[in-house]
Amino acid sequence: MNNIFSQIKRSKEMGILAILVVISIIISAFNSSFLTFGNLLDVVKSNIVLGIMSMGMLLVLLTGGIDVSIASVISAVTVIIGRFMVDYSSNIFLIFLVGVVAGSLMGLINGLLIAKLKIPPIVATLGTMSVIFGLVLYLTNGNWITGIPQNFIDFGRVTIGQFPVAGSDRIQGIPIQFLFLLFAIALTWFILKYTMIGRGIYAIGGNRDSAERIGMNSENITLFIYTYEGFLIGLAGVVHTSIMRQVDPNAFIGFEIQVIAAVVLGGASVLGGYGSVSGTIIGVSLFCIINNGLILMHIPTFWQKIVVGVVLITSISFDVIQKRMHDKKNIRVDIDESESSFKRLSVVQKSTSQA
Amino acid sequence: MNKDIQKNTKQIGAPQKENRMRRLVKKVHLDTKELVLLQLLIGVFLLMSILSPGRFLSVYNLQSMAYQFPEFGIFALAMMVIVVTGGINLSITYSATLSSILGAVVLVALNNLGVQPLVTVVIGVLVIIISSIACGAVNGLIVAHIGITPMLATLGTMTLFEGIALNITKGGAISGFPDMFQWFGNSAILGIPVPLLIFVLVIIATYFILQRSSFGAKVYMIGCNPTATRFSGVNVKKVLFLLYIYSGILTGFAGIIMASRYNSAKESYGYTYLLQSVAAAVLGGTDISGGFGKVFGTVVSVLILQVISSGLNIFGVNRFITDVIMGMILIVVLTINFVNNRMEEKALLSKKVVTA
Repeated sequence: MNNIFSQIKRSKEMGILAILVVISIIISAFNSSFLTFGNLLDVVKSNIVLGIMSMGMLLVLLTGGIDVSIASVISAVTVIIGRFMVDYSSNIFLIFLVGVVAGSLMGLINGLLIAKLKIPPIVATLGTMSVIFGLVLYLTNGNWITGIPQNFIDFGRVTIGQFPVAGSDRIQGIPIQFLFLLFAIALTWFILKYTMIGRGIYAIGGNRDSAERIGMNSENITLFIYTYEGFLIGLAGVVHTSIMRQVDPNAFIGFEIQVIAAVVLGGASVLGGYGSVSGTIIGVSLFCIINNGLILMHIPTFWQKIVVGVVLITSISFDVIQKRMHDKKNIRVDIDESESSFKRLSVVQKSTSQA
Repeated sequence: MNKDIQKNTKQIGAPQKENRMRRLVKKVHLDTKELVLLQLLIGVFLLMSILSPGRFLSVYNLQSMAYQFPEFGIFALAMMVIVVTGGINLSITYSATLSSILGAVVLVALNNLGVQPLVTVVIGVLVIIISSIACGAVNGLIVAHIGITPMLATLGTMTLFEGIALNITKGGAISGFPDMFQWFGNSAILGIPVPLLIFVLVIIATYFILQRSSFGAKVYMIGCNPTATRFSGVNVKKVLFLLYIYSGILTGFAGIIMASRYNSAKESYGYTYLLQSVAAAVLGGTDISGGFGKVFGTVVSVLILQVISSGLNIFGVNRFITDVIMGMILIVVLTINFVNNRMEEKALLSKKVVTA
């Protein structure tokens, strides 16, 4: 029992979950409409894109990389599918195919630069960001694409199930876009948990050299994660367009920072090796609920950035300080053990004999 | 770790003859990498001059360039000093705009009260510098003393500074400074633009702090291996803390120039400089994982980027295509670096085989 308790206390996810619960209680104390099915559904719907993209970013951060080009990639994807469905075909399957292929290709370019040419991730994605975003703005001139085909709009309006909304006659269903979020989460979770690549991702993030020595092909894994991230961004691009029903090439400026912040809030380390799907879900939820709560609490939007910044800094600080105290405790154990030289000798002998 | 060891062994293993050459080059404090950059700058400059005769080399264009690049250059140096430690400072632009907004509030208030312009400007500039020091200190505190990874820490402070700045301006721009404040951004002494003079002072100061002082040596050591540096008796926390404050002060200078040039203060000014300054630092030979990088290289690469963007602007190239070309340059230069390193490694290997 004690063991389980200490394990829970030590796990990063629980800490963030506790913050999430506390913040939810505070918000619902101020505004009773926060904890309603309708509001929570709205929160989820408006953050599906963030959720899907955070799954890709999680894998990248797990290997110790970073991708600042995601905002430009999703802008490019939305513009490409926007033009595709306006000019060529409104077949939903084809639209998804084009979006996913376009995203994967751009991710593959990032992957090639990072894995094959050994360009540091932040610099490589900086370069592709400026190339892709420059091209998008040059080709669209910053203009919106409207006139999305009706069948795609209808597709975006599909809902699943019917739930009565408390306090009104309205009936609300779960938007179809939610399925794509679930798909992204399930796929990422499966990759991390049950595939060799997933093991490799954690291994590379922990220590690239040792991962290579035990036979992990770090180049291929790096290629895979950036392509997979591009794939998810392609998916997110289609989902975004189906929600918004128009394409704004400038809609995603600064979005990469939000995604990184949400994933990091969920306990992923930018140094690689740490992070989980469940933690990321909690982190993204925390990020969304703070933003939604500030609106419900009638706090001016200018405060949002401050609150997000403070929450980001304090939650990471808390994490780092906790880890340092844990390390200190370990060192004290070492000192206690070494107090009698005989004891220390026996420990050394034991460890060498074990090795 | 492994890379550091490789680099060190490479230096130790270099033949004696090369050492003499290197010493000679070192006398002018230039590396081969920096010589290449310098040649590149001259090449780009000549190319632009030949391709658009009379327009690129006109006094007007050179002068407008001299007013444009100092703020970018100062941002690049603020970024570079941190990148040398293996960190990154994402908060530079918002630290600059937050400081200039705080300064702007004071400037406007004093101006409306009818205080003497000179006194107003001096107090305003002091407020900007002090707030930029405070911004740097916040970064330093979080990175050095709490121990958060620089990227995350400055990501947080970036959002924080932006939020505070937005809260003060409510999304608009603050203007209404005394005319005298424009001196920092729009006037010249003996024909030399004041921003350029400030930039030169910043270059000299950064050069001496980073490359000519024991403090600078410690900074490079931290970039190579913070643990080893700590065990060799260096107060890593103190050095990092001071360095982030220095980076903050530089953003304050950039903030003064920007506020003066635009004659207003807004939280989004200079946002595009953030990633450009990383690019400039990296192009200038600064290793993103720390330990290597020089002031000279960063300054030259700032000049290269400025010459290219001004030149493309004169040719009438679309501004977005300029972004595309900048990104391409970054990727191509790093690819060339990678190929070069490979060749060097191969040459070293074959040499070893021959001697064996």
